[in-house]
Amino acid sequence: MVALVGGIGLQTPHPKTEEPVTVVELTNMLMFMPETVRIRAGTTVEWRNTSLLVHTITADPDLATLAESVQLPEGAKSFNSGNLDAKATFRHTFDVPGTYVYFCIPHEGAMMRGTVIVEPIVQ
Amino acid sequence: MKSSNINRVARRSYSAGYLLAFLLLLLTAVPHVHAKQMDQEQTMAKLQKMTPARGYIDAHKNLEKPLGLLGGPVEVTITQTSGGVFVSLPDQRRLDPNVFGTPEMPRAFSGTPGVNGVPLMARGVEHSAYTVMKPLSPFGDKYTVMAEGKLSLKAVDATATDAAKTEDAVNMMASWKDQDGNTYEVRCCQMLAAHGMEFPTFGGVVTNHILHGFTRIGTALMPSEYAYFAFWGMGEVKKNGVVLDKPRLVHGMLTEYVRKEGYKLAFDDEVTPTRQHFHLMVAPFMPVMEEGRFTKKPVKTGFNLPNGMELPFWHVMFENLEIDSKRSE
Ligand SMILES: [Cu+2]
Repeated sequence: MVALVGGIGLQTPHPKTEEPVTVVELTNMLMFMPETVRIRAGTTVEWRNTSLLVHTITADPDLATLAESVQLPEGAKSFNSGNLDAKATFRHTFDVPGTYVYFCIPHEGAMMRGTVIVEPIVQ
Repeated sequence: MKSSNINRVARRSYSAGYLLAFLLLLLTAVPHVHAKQMDQEQTMAKLQKMTPARGYIDAHKNLEKPLGLLGGPVEVTITQTSGGVFVSLPDQRRLDPNVFGTPEMPRAFSGTPGVNGVPLMARGVEHSAYTVMKPLSPFGDKYTVMAEGKLSLKAVDATATDAAKTEDAVNMMASWKDQDGNTYEVRCCQMLAAHGMEFPTFGGVVTNHILHGFTRIGTALMPSEYAYFAFWGMGEVKKNGVVLDKPRLVHGMLTEYVRKEGYKLAFDDEVTPTRQHFHLMVAPFMPVMEEGRFTKKPVKTGFNLPNGMELPFWHVMFENLEIDSKRSE
């Protein structure tokens, strides 16, 4: 299954039981923690806004104003969480292998960026 | 000497030109050696006289009928409804060679220290280059984040130049909360700075103009930055609904993004032109109009730093903004 990517929605507090989930926190220090995560294709990443600030998780070149802010593997669709208030969460499942660079729209100038490296499922 | 209402307005608005003044403790930092103190006072007076916009302001400050903006007045609305804010903490500002030059060829040293330039004796030097401004100021890399930042601002930029009277207007309410649930609030402007003193204020509101840094319009400690909107005026500082300090000099501006990784304050060549944020400043200085000088006057913010000292200024950034503007008829 290629390019079955899409946001699974906001405010999803609990992961589905069997689905592997990797957690990334959004901080007051304007960092995604951890900054880089390495996952297998099909894994869902959950971002948790543990800060007091509004952040976004954005991997859409059309929403970036700096070329370095976004990188998508060929065949992967862009995604954007929209504004995430304090305590909100956002999930996205990564099916297309490759390196994703994403950023936070309000803090793009402060280089708030993260990386997801998606490795193919070895049969 | 007239003492008409207009004159009083002009005199008070004059004071607001000294915005972005801050904690420069040059005089108190030296031991009480009388001769040395006299020297420093004379140096200070000379620096203040040398401020680059003095002649320009003299030509405009008594102007009763200033001209309007080319194309007509601009109405501006800026709002933040949710999300935290960045609150600057006292720090030493790294000195940008683009703005301050080198020890061999210094720039931007005149004016009231920190309001406009930075005197040479306040600058650290290492390997023939400037390092930091030695006294602490509101313009540095240190910050904390506070919750529930709200900003509601409506303004009109009508008057073009500095003048005795202005058609400009600002109505701003800004608030945020600390971790104990206390609400801090700044309101402005009961009065606008119709003209500046050490740098122009364009009738109190300016739109689409570069400020700070090399421009010497406002403190040189902030990087040179394009301001889509800015104002200078007199407002009030509240905590939990109670006025703690009034009147105070308030400056706000919507600019291109001047923070970099880790929220460090940018140098001129590190600004991000494609993102914006709003800065709010309540300066820890008050003018003494009769003597044409400033006194340090910490703002009663009601917010205590971890060392127990009250934060003596507010310098707060809002970054989740809705912005609207139009030319009015
Ligand atoms: Cu962010």
